[in-house]
Amino acid sequence: MDLGLLASGLLVTLELAGLSIVLSLVLGIAIGVMRAAPVAPVAILAEGYIAFFRNIPLLIVLFFALNGLPASPLGIRLSYFETAVAGLVVYTAAYVAEVVRAGVQALSRGQTEAGRSLGMSWLQTMRLVLLPQALTAIVPPLGSVFIALTKNTALASTIAVPELLYQSRIIESRTFNPNVLLLTGLVYLAVTLPLGGLVNYVEARMSVVGARSQGGR
Amino acid sequence: MAAEALSVGSLRRRSRAGLSNRQQSMIGVAAVLVFLPLVFRMEPRNFTPFTELAIWRFLGEGVVTVLVVSIVAIVASLPMAAALALGRLSSQRPIRLACTAFVEGIRALPLLLLIFYVFLSLPRDLPAFLSRETIALTAALMVYTAAVNAETLRAGILALDPCQMEGARSLGLGHWGAMRYVVLPQVFRDTLPSLIAQFTTLVKDTSLGSVISMVELVQRGIIIFQGFRNPMETLYIVALLFFFLNFAMEQISISLRPSAAER
Repeated sequence: MDLGLLASGLLVTLELAGLSIVLSLVLGIAIGVMRAAPVAPVAILAEGYIAFFRNIPLLIVLFFALNGLPASPLGIRLSYFETAVAGLVVYTAAYVAEVVRAGVQALSRGQTEAGRSLGMSWLQTMRLVLLPQALTAIVPPLGSVFIALTKNTALASTIAVPELLYQSRIIESRTFNPNVLLLTGLVYLAVTLPLGGLVNYVEARMSVVGARSQGGR
Repeated sequence: MAAEALSVGSLRRRSRAGLSNRQQSMIGVAAVLVFLPLVFRMEPRNFTPFTELAIWRFLGEGVVTVLVVSIVAIVASLPMAAALALGRLSSQRPIRLACTAFVEGIRALPLLLLIFYVFLSLPRDLPAFLSRETIALTAALMVYTAAVNAETLRAGILALDPCQMEGARSLGLGHWGAMRYVVLPQVFRDTLPSLIAQFTTLVKDTSLGSVISMVELVQRGIIIFQGFRNPMETLYIVALLFFFLNFAMEQISISLRPSAAER
């Protein structure tokens, strides 16, 4: 059994997950902020994005990116890896946006009113008052979204990205031994379980910080 | 009714331009659906296959497959989920550990890996009234859904007032009798919306069947666009079908959510 293949697959999976986490966080926050915006068309468009991409399978988003990006007017030509990142980011951003929106709207209305009455614009209020508070509160749900994203990177194997599942299927097709997938499963566990632990750790740290700042108030 | 809607509307800050959340959602999705063909330059003539009834019948069989697999998987997962939830709450340490390891392990794995593993491990010569692909997909979805629903049910059992158990025990029911006749029925009722939300995930996850070349909805889409060479347009239609399936499920789930008065 060729463990080198699995190791290279793991590396691609980690790159795929890391890049997609960062980019989907950026896109997701942008769409979540748009969803909470006081301008109706912007908010409604953001809501449409969230509702649409949360209700269709990731596989379709990936196939769409694979076939569609080169054909679009922009004529974007991406490698398979970049296509997978694009699909994962577009899909996951909808979940991130929903979490961000919930976090912002759970804050007291007084926060927005206070920011606005201090002379800040709506965007400034969002950036300086609402988002910093919301972000600390949404770490646990964001963590679950990113763990799901990490598991979803396995779908990149369907568009020929040589990640963990793809490599283990190559090994399986050479050896006819499906148990190699059990080994791959353990590798996935070794990635996703610590990620869950990390989320718990960050959550604990942040709640301590939150308690302190509240005590100082 | 109108007065009630008015007061709810004025209380709900989120409503914009006097629209309810659901209306906003529908308008937004409609905008996205108009936007996509423009961005990806879909051509009207590539939609012509979808004016034919035969194509819709072909896709409709895919929708039926998706629904049947999802329903079978979720119904079959419930007894297993209940067993796992009770196992995690068991006073016996080995049972508790085994169930915890199983639930957490399955939930931490990519579903696609599970599907491949089940598919590749199935014996070659199965009694063939169902395809190997269908059996593998349904079984993998069932196990995965059982692990997820076990957590929902466990949370439901923990959230139920302990007086329910104590009351049942003091009426002379044993621990298992109380679980079966008093606790679990209430837990199933309370967690029904979450269990149905899981159904949405399940419907989306049936698309993974196409990866093991099972002829479900996505695979039927692939067959169509390989014939007509219109991948974008066909994927668009398939995405629409998935969206409306899930949208319908969501509406059912909302209507089943117990109102404040019933609690």
